[in-house]
Amino acid sequence: MSNLPSQKDAIAAALALYPTRPFAVSDIGSQTGWLKAASHDARNLYVSGPMGLATSVALGLAAVRPNEQVLAIAGDGALAMNLTSLATIVGAKPKNLSILLVDNRVYEFTASVPTPTRDMDWLAVGRAFFGADQCMRLADLTPERWAGVSRPAMIVADIAPAPAKPPALGMTPAMIRLEFLKASKA
Amino acid sequence: MAGQVASGEKLFRSIQAARPKLVTGVPDGMLAQTIMLCEASPDFPYIACAREEECIGVASGAAMAGERAVVMVQNAGLLNSLGAFATMGLRYGLPFVVIVTNRGALADPNGYDIEKREAFDAGVRPMARVFDFDASDLPDDLIPAAFKWAEAARKPVILALEKRLGAEAAA
Repeated sequence: MSNLPSQKDAIAAALALYPTRPFAVSDIGSQTGWLKAASHDARNLYVSGPMGLATSVALGLAAVRPNEQVLAIAGDGALAMNLTSLATIVGAKPKNLSILLVDNRVYEFTASVPTPTRDMDWLAVGRAFFGADQCMRLADLTPERWAGVSRPAMIVADIAPAPAKPPALGMTPAMIRLEFLKASKA
Repeated sequence: MAGQVASGEKLFRSIQAARPKLVTGVPDGMLAQTIMLCEASPDFPYIACAREEECIGVASGAAMAGERAVVMVQNAGLLNSLGAFATMGLRYGLPFVVIVTNRGALADPNGYDIEKREAFDAGVRPMARVFDFDASDLPDDLIPAAFKWAEAARKPVILALEKRLGAEAAA
């Protein structure tokens, strides 16, 4: 029996670090399903694009909403597919963007096949891009500590593989877009 | 060189006229002058991406919030990004503008560009609206017009810029 949190609980814990609800941009599949299950909100942007694109989508959103906090939620398999986005984010220096990496070491939506990064130290990877002060484990964070962390920043959460997939999203692309558009203009 | 600077400035002014909230791209020689002007512009952020697929993601994030975004990449770069273009731009109906330098034209016959152009014709044109232009003779209202089209169509639009025989060198 694992002592690690579930992906749903890790996402909820990361969102709870913020004093007000951030925009949350989730990668396709596992992250989108668990984000909706953890905390459905009009400020959630459920990405249907290629695995790993959430960090890039979140960067674009952060650039056009500089007064709002944006949290990209990526799995270990997903982020490995768009690792270069971390370099882009370091270069762009958004003051309102953070990344939550949920690491279960498997492709949850693909029969839990192990990821090639399953033995990789994601904390070390994040710190190589963002520095030790801007990349930390979820378990070490409190709202007070998180409030003092400069952005861009990265949170690494080791999570337990889920016994089953999350509930289906149940939203069409048009519904996702319109709901988010209204929230992003509010 | 004078033609390169002039066409680069002209494209920049057209981008500026469309009042985008952000511009993003990966460099190509034909876009270099425009990218440098965008980077220096106080009117909008220029986000320099490490890979072209990221540009589609960045533009999608802006467009999901209802804001205008411009992408600048080479044809090979858009080919690297078709999954993102389809599953974000087309699936969500996002009206961003993609400026593509369509290398490998008759006036641009680098051996390493030929297959990129053939793949662009075979892979991109069937899935998206592409409007073609002489890179050395761009309309002043190109980018504002492209946004109007994309916003009316509720989908991204691709502007393919190429070197043409007899035209002043664009890069």
